[in-house]
Amino acid sequence: MAEVEVIRILERDVPRRSFIKGVIAAGASVSSAGYLFRSPGLLAATGLQGTTERLVTLRVNGQDRRVDVLPHETLAMTLRYKLGLTGTKLGCDRAECGACTLLIDDVPHYGCSMLTQQVRGRSVTTIEGLENADTGELHPVQQAVVQEGGFQCAFCAPGFIMAMVGMLNTNPNPTREQAAHALSGNLCRCGDYEKILNSAMRAAEVARMA
Amino acid sequence: MATIGQDIAPPDLVAKVTGRARYAEDFRAEGMVFCKLLLSPMPHARVRRIDASRALRMEGVIDILTADELPATEAPREPILSNEPLYEGAPILAVAAVDETTAAAAVEAIQVDLEPLPFVLDPLESLRPGGPDAYEQGNYASRDGWQSVKWTAEDFEGAGDHMPRGAPLSEWSKGDLDAGFAAADFIVEETIVHQSLTHHPMEPRSTMAYWQNGKLFCHTSTQSVARTRVGLASTMDLDPEDVVLISEFCGGGFGSKIGGTTHMAVPAFFSRKIGRPVMMRITRYEENYIGRARPGFQAWVRMGARNDGKITAIDLYVVQESGPHGASDWNTAGMIADLTYTPEAMRFRAVPVFTNTPPKAAQRGPGGAQIISMLEPIVDKLARGVSQDRLAMRILNAPGPDVAFGPNGTTLTSVHAREALQQGAELFGWAEKSALSGQRHGSRVTGVGIGLSPYTAGSRGFDGLLLIKPDGRLYVHQGIGNLGTHSIADTARAAADVLGMPWESVEIVWGNTGQNLPWSSVQAGSQTTHAHTRANHAAGMDARRKCQEVAARALGGSPDAYEVDGGRVFQRGNRSRGMSMAQVAERALEYGGRFDGHELPEDIHTVTTVAAGNLVGQGLMGVARDNYGGEGSIYSWVVGFARVELDVETGHVEIMEYAAVTDCGTVLHPRSLGAQVFGGSIQGMGMAKSQRWVFDPKWGVPFAKRLYTARPPGMLDVPLDLRWGAVGIADPQTPVGAKGIGEPPVGAGAAAITTAVADALGGNCLCRTPLTPDIILADIEGRRTYGKLEQHVG
Amino acid sequence: MGTMRDMIAPFELFQPTSVEAATALLAEHGQDAWVLAGGLDSFDWFKDRIKRPKVVVDLGAIEELSGIRAADGGLEIGAMASLTSVVRHERVASAYPLLASAAEHVATPQIRNQGTLGGNLAQDTRCWYYRSGWPCYRAGGNTCYAAAPQAMNREHCIMGASRCVAVSPSDTAPALLALGAQMVVRNRRRERVYEAEDFFIGPAIDITRMTVLDDGDLLTAVRLPAEWADARWYYEKVRDRASWDFALESVAAAFRMNGSTIADARIAVNGVAPYPVRLHAVERSVIGSQASENLAIGAGEVAIQGVRALRQNDYKIPLMRNLVKRAVRSVV
Repeated sequence: MAEVEVIRILERDVPRRSFIKGVIAAGASVSSAGYLFRSPGLLAATGLQGTTERLVTLRVNGQDRRVDVLPHETLAMTLRYKLGLTGTKLGCDRAECGACTLLIDDVPHYGCSMLTQQVRGRSVTTIEGLENADTGELHPVQQAVVQEGGFQCAFCAPGFIMAMVGMLNTNPNPTREQAAHALSGNLCRCGDYEKILNSAMRAAEVARMA
Repeated sequence: MATIGQDIAPPDLVAKVTGRARYAEDFRAEGMVFCKLLLSPMPHARVRRIDASRALRMEGVIDILTADELPATEAPREPILSNEPLYEGAPILAVAAVDETTAAAAVEAIQVDLEPLPFVLDPLESLRPGGPDAYEQGNYASRDGWQSVKWTAEDFEGAGDHMPRGAPLSEWSKGDLDAGFAAADFIVEETIVHQSLTHHPMEPRSTMAYWQNGKLFCHTSTQSVARTRVGLASTMDLDPEDVVLISEFCGGGFGSKIGGTTHMAVPAFFSRKIGRPVMMRITRYEENYIGRARPGFQAWVRMGARNDGKITAIDLYVVQESGPHGASDWNTAGMIADLTYTPEAMRFRAVPVFTNTPPKAAQRGPGGAQIISMLEPIVDKLARGVSQDRLAMRILNAPGPDVAFGPNGTTLTSVHAREALQQGAELFGWAEKSALSGQRHGSRVTGVGIGLSPYTAGSRGFDGLLLIKPDGRLYVHQGIGNLGTHSIADTARAAADVLGMPWESVEIVWGNTGQNLPWSSVQAGSQTTHAHTRANHAAGMDARRKCQEVAARALGGSPDAYEVDGGRVFQRGNRSRGMSMAQVAERALEYGGRFDGHELPEDIHTVTTVAAGNLVGQGLMGVARDNYGGEGSIYSWVVGFARVELDVETGHVEIMEYAAVTDCGTVLHPRSLGAQVFGGSIQGMGMAKSQRWVFDPKWGVPFAKRLYTARPPGMLDVPLDLRWGAVGIADPQTPVGAKGIGEPPVGAGAAAITTAVADALGGNCLCRTPLTPDIILADIEGRRTYGKLEQHVG
Repeated sequence: MGTMRDMIAPFELFQPTSVEAATALLAEHGQDAWVLAGGLDSFDWFKDRIKRPKVVVDLGAIEELSGIRAADGGLEIGAMASLTSVVRHERVASAYPLLASAAEHVATPQIRNQGTLGGNLAQDTRCWYYRSGWPCYRAGGNTCYAAAPQAMNREHCIMGASRCVAVSPSDTAPALLALGAQMVVRNRRRERVYEAEDFFIGPAIDITRMTVLDDGDLLTAVRLPAEWADARWYYEKVRDRASWDFALESVAAAFRMNGSTIADARIAVNGVAPYPVRLHAVERSVIGSQASENLAIGAGEVAIQGVRALRQNDYKIPLMRNLVKRAVRSVV
């Protein structure tokens, strides 16, 4: 097969300068890796300013976090790439699988499908925020999953667990069927639904005894 | 107390429930940049020219990586990047930039001049005289080279309503087929379509790679670990010791990430090129293309049975939609059919055809799941034809211990399919449930189904490696992967039990080849339970003997006078005269030689030798190859029973209950085994009931690219009433007695549904998957639906 | 030219706190602006990079859009009320359970927590040719790929086609047609109120839109009239999966009974046309009649008069007949 002609600029520097700038811009957050937009020059070139403040305070797992957020940035991306909270998973990035499920003001939402700018002033809880901050004790839902040996590959686990926590907030005594409905926004490709439901039912029990 | 047979909390579970479990895309490295793939917009094309100049001028863009910079691969082997994309979505090149937004914009700024080439999606189209081939070289390749396989016009015209059957590429038979059909009192002939379907593990196959001091560090999502490292090293032309592969957690694979993935090499090469860590975050959209799929079948079958229920003859012809790089499901399909029904005579013919659809790979029960889900309703038809109970018919035809099947008369180490059927029937309540068959309440009709599914479940000859350290703990090193089956823990129990170590004193070392992992089976094909209980048993026995020898040397007497149990080595009959494991480990270090790994067995694999060499002087080492041997193939079985209600006014099917029983030898971990049985069965239910792969035939491009269009089953699509059981008879040819379980439940779950639906329809086999409401309703109402052989629809 | 998906392209984000400010922004930016409600349809378009608005107007901060309040003996539901809040609202559940049921059939709990009633009504079609960015009529091109001879059109329409054969995906739309709801639409200059039936438009009227909403327009509220409160009702959605799936077809019906006689009825279906369809002829066929199995069977037959299947959706005809039959049968 003939080699494909590839047109490229041969003599060019790696844009070290913009890389450094990017790190500084992202320096407002704890993460070393900016993810979405480390090159402020390119954003300026689009002529988009927006009315929203870039530097915002987010209430995440009970703590106020200052973070530089772009208008089009999703909450899952901010958490994963700027706040280092990688427990929130991206399975589809389309509000279809539930791996990114987290709580906004105690209500389950898909973190992949909301803008970070939409949660200013609201309380965000992720899987990392469930353990007791002082004692390190697992949340009743986490304890229940451990007791029931829930999940296989567990990529879906953080999302399911957050959905379980959200369910128990509104329905502390679910029937098995109600639990299935409450967790129907989360997919498990390993098909571990039986143990996941067992965990949900056990979680209600553990929470009642707590 | 033996840990085998007990439920345990897997050692990685707390990490999983707290979000601390790190999957490939959760890793970051200093100076990490992002790469994105430019995917082919056409099902088959040739790249004539790439103009990346505009992209490369963009601020933040670092470089591109093209196929020409990578090692050449010879078709039909899958290339990493390609100048001749063979399916829509095939990666052509990659772009690296300081952030993903810039990389995305850069991909859009690259001009690729593509020359469209002929393409084909449907194998039967390719087999037509003058039909298109997936490659310019042809539609089939073997050791003898390329072929453009075509059937004759007469083959197609003469087929009538059935699948045309021209000359096969593969054929075998046993017994006298004509005599078999002549002996039959009832014969069924059907044409069947099993659609292809994507694996869609929850975790897309993201990879992050960087280089340090000439070594490649690769964080990836793979089912196997020790073996994936070797594969990646080979791709990169590196010594395996120069690759550190990290995959402590794999978010599902189901056969799609056995040895890692072809495209994990992109960040590895790219990082070497640009001198920075490269993250390639794979999206669900990309996963649909490069994430592998189960190959679909178009098939024809003729089956005959005597009035006593014995299946006398099977004539099976499978055409496989192989994708651009092939799959061997077709071959397994014939074997499984023969094994499950033990016909007196059988002929199997097959034609696997390359197609311009995303690449195929093993998906849980490859070949077996497809053929079982399709043949079981046809067996039911036979049962009706000869007035036999469907369960009795299966028990009659199921193999016994003397079975010899397939073209080479393959034998089995053990088989308890009949026991599984009987136990399953009891668990499900076959007698009373089958009486509900066809009962109608309002518009809902009850259907009862049964699916019996075998699959290979083991392999032999791998290595075990473990240490007892001066902290008194047992460290079992596992080269297998961690994709959620709990094998890393459960196969370690073989070592723990022979050493009498309490489970609390056992540590598992896994998931990072930098931690010295032994040569292992791939974590696929249900091999690991069998292969690595053996390997760990062997290493455990080696360590046990060494413990006895250490004690004898330290305390006097013969090694055989010592017992190893409860975390101690002690004189038989005098528990107080002995040593703790910690003391044994200290002594082993003192004695050196083979005790602490200074001397290693000759017959272990080089990978194990190197790993063990790095662990020398850390404690008492157990290291051994599995030399237990054995004769015959290792197969496990699952039988699934389902009760469904089919609404004849909407075509909707609700699965009301499901029960399954497995024959997989000794039960290692009951709760985890149950989860495998259900999980596989549920994947089968999805396969039978909803999952699809849809292409526009004119343009050759897929539509079911999202999860909601591909339709894997959710929690509400499966019954709340799930039950399982195990025969639990040990396989006599393996020390622990355990066989694998990953594969067979898929066919059982799928077939329980296809048979239940056919039962609700009065025995009418629609002979197609998935059985969606439209197909069922159109059949009930006599409405137009898909063509008998149409594939990639729904 | 490389196709890129799953990365939202940059835009300017506005988060106004009043309807006035929102409509002013929409007027100012015209075609460049995109209205963001729950975002579950919008983000799909943005992530596919097929729709790239310069300006996004997020309605999430406008409190007046999210309430549910009593009005004229009925209810007025703010367009930004989440589907969960609609399902759980006491008065909706007691007086308009048809709407609560329809809303509960939408996708998943998380989507219902975030998705809004207005967004569910105004969402775009799910035709996969169109959603894949193909240059079809609806996208401003000059063909319909889904109606081509070999096309994959199992989920497309059996009536109401005009060049485009896509269907309306909304679960709540047929319920609102059956309940005689009204949609309140505002722009910078005026407020208009539409009957639910008129709010949805077919491709014959405008092939690029699913509703009357034009640039600058905002759906602000849905009004449920007292007239159809506490009616007998029927809702059914047939789908491939029990969660996260659009309807193959759905039916929504409200009945006023006088003993066993159907005094009044409103029946609508979705998934059959580019818009939710109110079945006037069916209603006429049952009003004033004694509810019976035969009446239901007849109603089903009336429903499918004049429908026409594409290559792969012939099943939709008996499905529509049966769903209408079941709706009428529910009051027997």
